[in-house]
Amino acid sequence: MTEIISAEVPRGAPPARDVLLDVRNLKTYFRVLDGLVPAVDGVSFSLKRGQTLGIVGESGSGKSVTALTIMRLIDIPPAEIAAESEVWFDGREILGLKMDEMRKIRGNDVAMIFQEPLTSLNPVFTVGDQIAEQVVNHKKVSKKAAWDRAIESLQLVGIPSPERRVKAYPHEMSGGMRQRVMIAMALSCEPKLLIADEPTTALDVTIQAQILELLKTIQDRTGSALLLITHDLGVVAEMVDNVIVMYTGQIVEQGTVNDVLIEPRAPYTMGLIESIPSVDKRGGKLSAIKGTVPNPFNLPPACRFEPRCPYHWELCSRVEPQLYDIGTTGRQARCHLYTPEGASRQQAALDSHRQAMTVGRTDPPSGR
Amino acid sequence: MEGTNRGFATPTIKGKLRLRPNTHIQQARSILISIPIMVFGLAIGALLLSIVFREPAAGIGSLPNKPGIVVLLWPGYIVSVIAYIATRGFRDRRLWSLALAALVGVVLVGGAIFLVLGTSTPAASSGTPTASGAVASPAGSVAATAAASSPGASAVAASSPGASAAAAPASASSVSQANGNAAFGVDVLAFLFVVLGVPLLWNLYRGRSWFLTPEAKHEVLTAEHLAQDAGGLSPIVAPLTEIASETYTEAKLGEPLLSVRGLKKHFPILGGVLRRRIGTIYAVDGVDFDVRQGEVFAVVGESGCGKTTLGRTLLQLTPPTAGHVIYDGYELGDVDPDDMRPLRRRMQIIFQDPFGSLNPRMPVSDIIGEGLLAQGVTNRADRDKRVEDSLEIVGLRRDYTRRYPHEFSGGQRQRIGIARALALSPDFIVCDEPVSALDVSIQSQVLNLLLDLKRDFNLTYMFISHNLSVVEYFSDRIAVMYLGRIVELGTVDQLYRNARHPYTVALLSAIPDADPRKRRRRLVLKGDVPSPAAPPSGCRFHTRCWLYEQLGKPERCTTEDPSLRVIEGTDHQAACHFAEEVSETTVRETVATQDVIDTAAAVES
Repeated sequence: MTEIISAEVPRGAPPARDVLLDVRNLKTYFRVLDGLVPAVDGVSFSLKRGQTLGIVGESGSGKSVTALTIMRLIDIPPAEIAAESEVWFDGREILGLKMDEMRKIRGNDVAMIFQEPLTSLNPVFTVGDQIAEQVVNHKKVSKKAAWDRAIESLQLVGIPSPERRVKAYPHEMSGGMRQRVMIAMALSCEPKLLIADEPTTALDVTIQAQILELLKTIQDRTGSALLLITHDLGVVAEMVDNVIVMYTGQIVEQGTVNDVLIEPRAPYTMGLIESIPSVDKRGGKLSAIKGTVPNPFNLPPACRFEPRCPYHWELCSRVEPQLYDIGTTGRQARCHLYTPEGASRQQAALDSHRQAMTVGRTDPPSGR
Repeated sequence: MEGTNRGFATPTIKGKLRLRPNTHIQQARSILISIPIMVFGLAIGALLLSIVFREPAAGIGSLPNKPGIVVLLWPGYIVSVIAYIATRGFRDRRLWSLALAALVGVVLVGGAIFLVLGTSTPAASSGTPTASGAVASPAGSVAATAAASSPGASAVAASSPGASAAAAPASASSVSQANGNAAFGVDVLAFLFVVLGVPLLWNLYRGRSWFLTPEAKHEVLTAEHLAQDAGGLSPIVAPLTEIASETYTEAKLGEPLLSVRGLKKHFPILGGVLRRRIGTIYAVDGVDFDVRQGEVFAVVGESGCGKTTLGRTLLQLTPPTAGHVIYDGYELGDVDPDDMRPLRRRMQIIFQDPFGSLNPRMPVSDIIGEGLLAQGVTNRADRDKRVEDSLEIVGLRRDYTRRYPHEFSGGQRQRIGIARALALSPDFIVCDEPVSALDVSIQSQVLNLLLDLKRDFNLTYMFISHNLSVVEYFSDRIAVMYLGRIVELGTVDQLYRNARHPYTVALLSAIPDADPRKRRRRLVLKGDVPSPAAPPSGCRFHTRCWLYEQLGKPERCTTEDPSLRVIEGTDHQAACHFAEEVSETTVRETVATQDVIDTAAAVES
């Protein structure tokens, strides 16, 4: 394991101008009593201006910690960020910034929408106060102007009679309304990047549809980039251009949303997509990924998905797989199937996936 | 059951159990009212009598010098007992015999005590009658207080006259100094008898006492049911040794196993200083449906629409406000709480939250074994074996019985929840969002397990969920709920290919599909679900309805409440005045014109 210290001086060169966010080899570990938990373990990706990137994964895969690390909202200690990790935002390396410099960026250029709108809004201030506070802190404007800005952004997210609602407290609003307020707050300073961490998980389907449509419309209007973190493949399919699939703190697959969701290559992604119930699989058995996510203190030695993988062979428990390029540019999967050694098994795996997608698994049920 | 076009047959009721309004709420109310009236009535009667006979300090049951008083009190006591029993129902033989047993017991015990005290220590007492009255009255009042809360209240009311009756001969024999002692002793013993003896008698009578073996207890219960069985009522108590193998369902495959008619559950909103009722939450407000033997009946809807309350109410976990639940021929609202137990074995529930629904202080053996214990499997070894069997059935290891819930992952905990339901070999399981707390990969494991169990044990599921893609895969028929009502009911194909209610259309349109090729513009509903405390007038959905807007806001929607009706030519039911207007064309027109930013505007009242 590499030497873990807080980042000091970035060593890499800044990315191209059209790249808004460039994350390079991000490692966030948590030091707890039992040892070191690799919550994010070597994640690299980049997001261009105005684009949408989705991060999907099950609970514990490290997707939220990735977002919090980018926002520098992780407490150090207990967290530790590896020295070689770099996060370039808008031409600057932000992991090395001082806290007050970071504070100027956070909320202003990068804004975050959290999962639980009720817990992330302050219950003792009106929503107007909370939005205006942010505007006053970041823009050199009067309180009056900030208040007007708050009303404007509430209007932007479709809250009826914003002049009245701006004086309301969070508890006076429904879940969907609160999430709109969160979005309004995030938008109030016209950020270049919006990070949405499970923005619709706590909401009902019909409200989820409202919020997703709203996010799309807002993005069209303001041209900001969106980093969408979710466990729901449906939401990803609906919203994003590119997608990253995470498992136990690592990226296991990335590519455009059409590539990854229609033709998944990593066995984990295949399993996830196969296990989504749908009518086509009715009557057949749902294919399920066997077992559970491994304990972070006791990860499998080589490939972390190997114990649950239906296609694994001897190599998988011996050599740790890297992200291997597949076909089109930017398409990568972390699996030995895409190395010369695994090429012979590749076709069988893909065929098995195709079959699971059309008729469900037909093998006898093994529930007992 | 009025309204012939709604597509529901009148359920058949076996034996004596007939459809009649839920009486237990009225009963509870009358009992609550009758107890204070009785207590006050007795107190005032005693007070008046003591004034008449100029003995102000004397209380109930301690008027030893005035035999006449006791004679006068007797009819009063008896009338009170009859009045009390009347409030519980004259036909309940148990109350009658209990009252009688208590009276006889008190008279016998009191008489024996009097004989002992009155003959052996004639001059031992130093207390005056007045003093004894003062001492005795607290005992009497304690008994009266106990009457207000204990189930054997009739017996308590009866105990005091027993004490007086025993005291009466004392004065007649003019052993006046002993009277005080005797009356006091009788009062105390009568009180003790009420506290200790009546529960004992009750237990003996019900066969629930600790000194009966499980087999004997079971025989008592079965005999009781057979005794009631005049009109073809079959015994519903499972033989203890065979709970696992026996299924008592009489409904054939495809016949209604569970019928719900007009079910309502309202919760009061309490407020103000006096915690008065200031409003009502109409959580479930008039629901009719049948769950057929062997099917998966799904209930879908947004949070707050009443799905979970519906599941809990039909299992009688919360008493319904109105309506009927008929399970395999038994009207559940009508079944005596004690008789409910064998029925409860057949109806189980799997809860939503695998973290909140398992007691963290209990090992798995107790979590699963608790239900077995309640059903009479008292032998620890038998119980543990059954627990291990059910763990194995759900795919967990047999040696997990000594572990605690925190040692398991979410998926494993949900399996424990399923094992708990299965341990009693039920016929019908309410699955209340069994997979919504789980990750996708674990979710499909649990769904597969539920389907396997259904096939292996001939189970019938009621599947409550908000996840429409899981429901589409998993269920046979679906009911869509909105604000406490079922708005649409049909098979999976009818609902997903040919939805007839505007709400269902919007709900289906809102599901994000994991296939990016199917990306499309959605039909986005305006605003939020209205409060169930103040549902909109007319059709409850009209405030958010896209069809209402498109049809030019017809007045009928705001004034007339649509009931669930059969769409002509099908068995598909929908609660919409304009269900025939719902088509792909109307949906497409709405989608084309909607404004996303404006969608919140409708909530403003």
